[in-house]
Amino acid sequence: MGTRTYLLGKILQAFLTLLFVLAFNFFLFRVMPGDPASLLLRGTSAYNPENVEAEKERLGLDKPLPQQFVTYMGNTLRLEFGESFVYQGQSVSEVIGDKVWPTVLLVGTSTIASIVIGLLIGIWSGWRRGSMFDYGSLGFTLFVYAMPEFWFGMLVLMAFAGGVGPFPAIFPTGGYETVGADLTGMAHVFDVLNHMVLPFFVLTVAYLGEYALIMRNSLLDVMADDYVQTARAKGVREQQVLWRHVVPNALLPTWTLTMLSLGFIFGGAITIEYVFSWPGLGYLTVQSIEAKDYAVLQALFLIFSAAVIFANLIADITYMYLDPRVRAA
Amino acid sequence: MRMATSALLKEGAMRSTWRTILAFAIGVMLVTAGLMQAALAQEESPTPSGADERVTFTFGGTGVPLTMNPMSGYLAIEFYFWTATYHLLVDWDLNLGVDQEGGPGSGLATDIQVSDDAMTYTYTIRDDVVWSDGEPLTAEDVAFTLNLYKGNHAYLPQNYLTLIDGEVRALDETTIQFDTKTPTSLYSGEVAYMYDYILPEHIWSDPSIVGERPKQYSNVPNVGSGPFIIEEFETDQYIKMVRNPYWTGPEPAIDEIYYRIFKNEDALAEALKQGEIDFAYPSTPTIYDDLSTQPNIETMNGTIPTFDEIGMNTGSAYQEQDDYFTPHGDGHPALTDPTVRRAIRMAIDSQTLVDRVLQGYGLPGDTIVPPVSVEGAKWTPEGDEVLAFDIEGAKQLLEEAGYTDTDGDGVREMPPGSLEPGRPLEFRYYVQSNDQNTVNASQFIQPWLEEIGIQANVEVVTSGRLGDIINEGTYDLFHWGWIPDPDPDSALSWFTCDSRPPDGKSYGNNDAYYCNPEYDRMYEEQRTTTDPDERWEIVHEMQRVFYNDAAYAVLWYGPTFAAWRTDRFTGYRVQPQPNGDPLESWGGPSAVWWTLEPVGAAGGGGGTSSVETRGIPAGIWIAIIAGVVILAAVVIVLSRRRRAREDEA
Repeated sequence: MGTRTYLLGKILQAFLTLLFVLAFNFFLFRVMPGDPASLLLRGTSAYNPENVEAEKERLGLDKPLPQQFVTYMGNTLRLEFGESFVYQGQSVSEVIGDKVWPTVLLVGTSTIASIVIGLLIGIWSGWRRGSMFDYGSLGFTLFVYAMPEFWFGMLVLMAFAGGVGPFPAIFPTGGYETVGADLTGMAHVFDVLNHMVLPFFVLTVAYLGEYALIMRNSLLDVMADDYVQTARAKGVREQQVLWRHVVPNALLPTWTLTMLSLGFIFGGAITIEYVFSWPGLGYLTVQSIEAKDYAVLQALFLIFSAAVIFANLIADITYMYLDPRVRAA
Repeated sequence: MRMATSALLKEGAMRSTWRTILAFAIGVMLVTAGLMQAALAQEESPTPSGADERVTFTFGGTGVPLTMNPMSGYLAIEFYFWTATYHLLVDWDLNLGVDQEGGPGSGLATDIQVSDDAMTYTYTIRDDVVWSDGEPLTAEDVAFTLNLYKGNHAYLPQNYLTLIDGEVRALDETTIQFDTKTPTSLYSGEVAYMYDYILPEHIWSDPSIVGERPKQYSNVPNVGSGPFIIEEFETDQYIKMVRNPYWTGPEPAIDEIYYRIFKNEDALAEALKQGEIDFAYPSTPTIYDDLSTQPNIETMNGTIPTFDEIGMNTGSAYQEQDDYFTPHGDGHPALTDPTVRRAIRMAIDSQTLVDRVLQGYGLPGDTIVPPVSVEGAKWTPEGDEVLAFDIEGAKQLLEEAGYTDTDGDGVREMPPGSLEPGRPLEFRYYVQSNDQNTVNASQFIQPWLEEIGIQANVEVVTSGRLGDIINEGTYDLFHWGWIPDPDPDSALSWFTCDSRPPDGKSYGNNDAYYCNPEYDRMYEEQRTTTDPDERWEIVHEMQRVFYNDAAYAVLWYGPTFAAWRTDRFTGYRVQPQPNGDPLESWGGPSAVWWTLEPVGAAGGGGGTSSVETRGIPAGIWIAIIAGVVILAAVVIVLSRRRRAREDEA
């Protein structure tokens, strides 16, 4: 009964949060300065009051705000996001749809890779505290954590796509696939992989520091706990103390971070998408904010929020199984 | 005994584990070897007939096209695709004059008859043009297209049709006719004014294809009349064009055109250096300079119609109320005085800005009609009329007009009898966070203004916010830019009284709130005069008046950069001559799309240019993936085994 109430409570909470976000998104973008209709046309010969008025009408911005809100809520609940303000002739679903898969592919795989590598580094350096590995990895992870992705991305691009000194120019300079090659089947898969190598590498390196540092600290906390001493006193082998007693408990704090990171996958990686011209949702968000493409922004923020809320919900639920204290509470 | 059994069991389990791993590894290796062989065979085998002999021209840039629909497009980058797929009635030549050659790339109109009152125009069009679906292009298409643009607020195209009275009529297969509201020379064919791409009626009149609102039709794939048609548009990635099978003009040497979108200009430059693309449009001087020094790459910098300006609030709060305009905002009253504005113009050294901000590229600016406009349109100030860079002269001008520094703080005050006597000349000066040049220029302009006793407080805002500020009239100075048409009509139209932002909320082109009835009168006159020479005289006079009133200090005419691989294609056509855009981006269809040919093709070398992929070969990928799978399997099996052993212990 307790479990069911807990579960229902969490689901209801997630649903209400999503509903709030839905309403909030509408107002959030409309308080941003500037008018999308005129932004579309400013600086061109097409910029005149008649065109701006016609644009407002097309975008539905000539209606009173409450009416716009009702239309927006109704459409969103039916998952109809309408037409992009900026990419004329394309629906929001088309504009976003093209970029969901590349985003998930790149950010998803590099997030998972960085979690796995980061946690392993964290575990090993925490366990071997004070060793050369610990000092080395601490320095490395702090460096990559603090390092600007943009800068590292540019270096990698110059080195492996442009070829500098001893570095061979083997990889493509950007994009998702070789434009104009018309590849299909496995050849296309490998082509995409070749395009993914550099951004994947940069993102994995850039993300892993965070996981390594948190895991290391968490491990050190747990290692000082009494039950670890007890296990050792019982004569449990060191490897078993680590993997059976310390790691599972130390993973708890990183679990939330991991789940949230997975939720943020849809948010893309703005700087890396920029450096490697990767078609992702992150850069689309920036562009849409700049151009005030309300229609695209509303859908994007809904996806982002829904992903994070869902990941959070999964974290809450799995926590219940990982940590019995949550259930007891 | 028990121990012995356990040890035996363990040994057996271990053997079986290793056997499993070995079997798995061998299996993976066999599959890998097979896949590698297949992949290598695929890479090495000669391509099926014709497949890889396609000649592909790939150009790249950071410009992001938003639509392929001529009704709703307005970005310069979008025109490249229309120049390959549509016709105009009257086309540009390489000097932005009228293309008189009459070939397949010229405008559709073969003859234009103007009535005596210059209010009825009869166009005869060619009968040899065929749409890419085999339908002939007729006068019906022309009349339909112009009426479509007129009736649907087509962003750019409708601008050129505002003088047309009523509908455009198709008289027969090859003749259209329309009337104008006033006499004019704009449609007589002596200038390429009507920048309206002709669309196929049988497509655009069909709601089942274009939907209820044609302006929102994607137009991909399109039906066109030029040598190429748009086949794919991957937002933010690329655009693909293929040959129009019904094109009757000279056969292009290229089969496919790709435009590849780069978000990052360094990557664009690398792509050109590595041969991933054949042609690039860099936008910053440093990248351009770098490309200029590369082997096998030729570069060109020139000018296209564009300018940057310091706009001044000439009196949004002080001008008279009329049917159209309500005074609003809080611009500084001193800027209502042309003397102050002229002094500001004289305190700005355009040459230094070009040298330091644009690193020597581009040209110093004077009037709102750029030097590469339609021939004869530009007026250039000469002699006494030049508001040349002259700090002392600017000081003297202000001094004589009574703007003196009465309290000795270095900032001048407004004279007695002015709108606000004693108010210091302290101005808000807005620059844009998304245009670094505006920020860089302010670092020169602010000290210059300080030298003449004007304090300018620089504020950095986004272009979106600046648009609002301008409409509210709550600014004194701002830095922005325009990309006018080659014909000066549009640029001149921006500064009529009725183009001012009318009420603090709505929009207007006239962001300097310049209002001069004499200028407005001349604007109408240049549109309605029937003598082209007389039109240029009026256009010159308008520029002179606007320059002298100094509502804008035109800073510079920005550069356009191009870079291309010399080992890939030849046959570029530069427009405007001599240093403009090598891909001939005004008009349509542009001949460059059939003069471009792979290097070596002309010499009988059979030159081809096809796309090559870069990266790790497929075989190595398969080996890497197989290695990872085997490693993961070994780790999993070993850790399970260890766990099982520990549990037993």
